[in-house]
Amino acid sequence: MRLDWSLLAPEYVLAGWAAMLVLVGTFFPRLPKTWLGYLGAAGALAAAGTSLIWLNDDAAFGNLLEVDNYTTFFRLLFHGIAFTVCLVSARYVGERLKNAGEYYGLVLLSALGATYMAAAQELLSAYIALELSSFSLYVLASFARNEIRSNEGGLKYMLLGAFSSAILLYGLSMIYAATKTTQYDGIREALSGDLEGARSAVLLGLVLLVAGLGFKVAAVPFHMWTPDAYEGAPLPVTALISALSKAAGFALFIKLFVRGLMPLADDWQPLLAGLAAATMLLGNLVALQQRNIKRLLAYSSIGQVGYILAGVVALSPDRPDAATAILFHLAGYVISNLAAFACAIVYYNWTGKEDIYDYRGLAERAPFLALAMAASLFSLAGMPLFAGFVTKFVLFQAIAEEGFLWLAGVGVLTSFISLYYYLMVMKQMYLGEPEEPGRFSTPWLEYAAVAALLVGIFLVGLAPLPLMEAAEDAASLVYRELGTALVAGR
Amino acid sequence: MIPIQHFLVLGAILFALGVYGVLARRSAVLILMSVELMLQAVSINFIAFAAYLAPQEFRGLIFAIFVITIAAAEVGLALAIILRLFRNRATANVDEVDTLRW
Repeated sequence: MRLDWSLLAPEYVLAGWAAMLVLVGTFFPRLPKTWLGYLGAAGALAAAGTSLIWLNDDAAFGNLLEVDNYTTFFRLLFHGIAFTVCLVSARYVGERLKNAGEYYGLVLLSALGATYMAAAQELLSAYIALELSSFSLYVLASFARNEIRSNEGGLKYMLLGAFSSAILLYGLSMIYAATKTTQYDGIREALSGDLEGARSAVLLGLVLLVAGLGFKVAAVPFHMWTPDAYEGAPLPVTALISALSKAAGFALFIKLFVRGLMPLADDWQPLLAGLAAATMLLGNLVALQQRNIKRLLAYSSIGQVGYILAGVVALSPDRPDAATAILFHLAGYVISNLAAFACAIVYYNWTGKEDIYDYRGLAERAPFLALAMAASLFSLAGMPLFAGFVTKFVLFQAIAEEGFLWLAGVGVLTSFISLYYYLMVMKQMYLGEPEEPGRFSTPWLEYAAVAALLVGIFLVGLAPLPLMEAAEDAASLVYRELGTALVAGR
Repeated sequence: MIPIQHFLVLGAILFALGVYGVLARRSAVLILMSVELMLQAVSINFIAFAAYLAPQEFRGLIFAIFVITIAAAEVGLALAIILRLFRNRATANVDEVDTLRW
């Protein structure tokens, strides 16, 4: 077994930086808290730079973790998320939260766990990575420790998260029993052979696995924790949960289902198709009634999970098209969603309000912020020009090509529904009368972050090819091991 | 030798009890204990499978060790959060914790 420790250098950087942040926060209490935020952002940047060393490399750490372009793609995505979240939470944390060092340390650790979820090629590593990422997020969700809403959101997130990981583990134990291995590739080989009497165990394992992972990515009917955790958690943490835990969950989903469970495709496709349709419909329909911007974005993110799950349904054994489309859409979703949350954070810093009605007249008081919010919401809805349109188009096309035309149809329909509630926010911003006149002061740093995300939205929307190619490159690697044996087995 | 079915049935019963506890109990601490019960069921499963199906390998045993370790960390974390809630609200009953709609 080859153990090349240097392959994990970006993670050492993240872990070391996280430890450093905690220590700096503890031993230098006079240091302005915003500096810790910049320091955390620098750590994420350093880790991203380090991970570029293994660009186009193809290596494995033992039989546990892979470092190829799939991992690098997600490393860069997660480090980018951590970077943005550290930056936009600098002011928020400085004014409203204690223990800033631990806060930023946990943000970096959650990104570390998420990275390993994408890198894992084995069930146990994937599970530990999942828990590392989730545990950091549990603590972050309840980080405003004297605020009842935060305690409560954190508690619900934590209890349901623990419940779901127990379900997931029971499923994993069943799959281990049937295949006698925890390697994705080994599982695939065992499953494409004769299962003898183990088929019912595998099916039970599959159902429990889908339920457990469904909790993590917040698919209907396992989404109950999402709105409460989102509303209770401090705003930047909500941004982190909505971007990181979803993307990481699907990184794991794709690799496990393509590499490990592909021989069972006929069994999980109808199951996931039902979940995807329910998720798209319920997420977008319930979002219509929300009054709080966090809850609105929570339900809209549930809807987005539905689209991506529909992409998972369309994963085929011989073509990486759907996987490419999912990675592409994930990246676009992460950028648009972070932009929307960054705008909400800036507004919260000014006013401390988070109801949609409170956004009335924003266009007069802060034209740039209203514009940025409108652009990110249009992108989430999937309007042309913006990132959301291209990524959704590619995704729905891939879904339809695999023969799930009805799922793509549900996706298009619910996208139209989603436009309505996004437009409600815009109506308040552009047509409502402001509570009081006068411009807000300009927070330059946050505006710079928002502007960068806006550029990202338009870049993906107008020149999607580079990102598309990166996604294609990454997705094709998941299919690398899938030889002709599998196709013959089906 | 005891047939493997006995362990699996024990695991399944523990798991079912845990699920019942999570759904029926209203105290956050008891819900947490029920989750622990489910995790122990998983450990039993893994150890039984490791011992009966692949006795030359340690995979299942390692998995069980990690499940136990992570479960311990989970309890620490959850109790800390419950403690914060209790300090602020003087309750650990999930039905009374209703500032946010479920």
